[in-house]
Amino acid sequence: MSDDVIMEIILESEQLRKEFGALVAVNDVSIKIRRHTIHSIIGANGAGKTTFFNLLTNNVEPTAGRVIFKGRDITRLPLHRIAHLGIGRSFQITNIFPNLTVLENVRLAAQALGKDNFRLLDHHRHFQRYEERAWQVIRQVGLTERARMPARTLPHGDQRKLEVGMILAPDPEILLLDEPTSGMAAEFVPEMIGLIRQIHRTGQKTILLVEHNMGLVMSISDYITVMHQGQILAEGTPEQIAANQVVQSAYLGRLGWQVSEQ
Amino acid sequence: MKILRDHSTFLAVVVFLIAFPFLMALLDGQSIGAMLAGQSGNSKFYQGLLIEIFILGIFALSYDLLFGITGLLSFGHAMFFAVGAYTAGLALKSLKLPLPQTLGLVILAGIAQALLFSIVLPRVKGITFALVTLGFASVFHIVIMSHELNDLAGGDVGLQNIPKPDYLDPAAQRLTFYFVALAFTILVYLFYRRFVDSPTGRVCIAIRENEHRAQMLGYNTFYFKLVALIVSGITAALGGALHALYQPIVSPVTASLAYTVNALLIILIGGVGTLSGALVGAAVFRLLQFFLDKFFGESSSFILGVVYVALVLFLPYGIIGTWRAHRLEWQAAWRARFARVATMLNRKT
Repeated sequence: MSDDVIMEIILESEQLRKEFGALVAVNDVSIKIRRHTIHSIIGANGAGKTTFFNLLTNNVEPTAGRVIFKGRDITRLPLHRIAHLGIGRSFQITNIFPNLTVLENVRLAAQALGKDNFRLLDHHRHFQRYEERAWQVIRQVGLTERARMPARTLPHGDQRKLEVGMILAPDPEILLLDEPTSGMAAEFVPEMIGLIRQIHRTGQKTILLVEHNMGLVMSISDYITVMHQGQILAEGTPEQIAANQVVQSAYLGRLGWQVSEQ
Repeated sequence: MKILRDHSTFLAVVVFLIAFPFLMALLDGQSIGAMLAGQSGNSKFYQGLLIEIFILGIFALSYDLLFGITGLLSFGHAMFFAVGAYTAGLALKSLKLPLPQTLGLVILAGIAQALLFSIVLPRVKGITFALVTLGFASVFHIVIMSHELNDLAGGDVGLQNIPKPDYLDPAAQRLTFYFVALAFTILVYLFYRRFVDSPTGRVCIAIRENEHRAQMLGYNTFYFKLVALIVSGITAALGGALHALYQPIVSPVTASLAYTVNALLIILIGGVGTLSGALVGAAVFRLLQFFLDKFFGESSSFILGVVYVALVLFLPYGIIGTWRAHRLEWQAAWRARFARVATMLNRKT
């Protein structure tokens, strides 16, 4: 990775803030995501990572601040417009169509940004490109054998892969993945890491990741932002973060006590 | 040939329904000529019963599109039917319009009402939408039977003496009416089938399954719900128009909550979200009503209630829904039984 080259900023937040009553869940967070990087946000439970994610894609309306995607203010954009800009978003709690087949889940995702959504009198099979794209993605995430099964019957790990496939299908520029390995059995985590790496490399995609799994974060990320109590504690490359004393102590739990004392 | 095999059940039902008036006449010992001439008898009577089933089936289909396919629970759906029925009745009676123009008006009325319902679509979800639509329908129900509109709409008795075109007179031209209603039901059913398989219909199903995910994929779910509402509204209004043409009176009951509940009950019996279940359910619903009434008189509604509870208990996905879920295992079980019998017979010989 060439740090010297000033890379284009694809997504940034400016002083993004969310208050729930007296609680400041996200406290004026400014972050810059460079194109084609894997950028991870880590932090203890309740650090505000998921809320921050929800602010980025307007799943939660911010109290103050702005979200800028490729130079454009997208802060209060309706949910359905987000995907059209080239932003794909997965959720911590698996968000799929449980009673539809794996194929139909991905096919719907592929169809979403096309121009055939209001062709009431044509059979959906008539639009083969969506189905072909769906199969392509299903192969990529390794669910070919389960393609005809209802999504709800899949093991949890496969449902996580399916959700990644669904946001991948419309070929977004940036993928926002909220704990893609959450609830996964440990032996399947490397598979997910491989998948994320492969998406990043072959698709020239930017990936913003919220993760708990430190091993995953350290091995995969180009940049890491550490959040703590709604604020950014540190930012840098995995090496820098690993060497950072403040972060070290935050993860040991000591700093949590210090900050709350301030 | 493949088409014939894939749709064999559908085609068999259609053939049966086309042959039905003739079969009934034969069973009754009535000559075909007398039946064609519209003479009264069992054939004519049961044609009437089936016409009622077709109209109910169209109404239930439109409800299934909204609730079973798109997941929009409406308690005001009867208003579409009543608006269609009253629009048709008033256009024929007060405006003296010919039938095609009348049907055009009915379609416009259905669209207008769908747009009215859609105003609240982005704001309310789930049960709240059901209650708001119930509110709309209740207002319409009260207005249509009010004293002030007595001269126009007939108050709580209903709209009477609607002039009917000679070629479609439900008494004199019952057989023509029967085939028109049958053809219209088949057309609506085939259109709905295609709609559900179209890209638009697939998104409607996705909205039912998980609206939030559909939005995050990039679908503006409002427009899909609006399309479902308009298609469903036009269908129900046309069903209402058919009702106005067939029945001697258009009663304000057609706008009541009870009428919406009938549609809900029908698709629960037939299978929510199955489409064909709406038609099967309408047949079961009306035939049960008719025969229980015939044999048990006043206590029939009690028995009807028991039957519905039993249906929901033992066929939780409705007739078609349960059949689809278990078809393969049932067929396998039967095949195994046949095989066992066959081996037993082989051993004997």
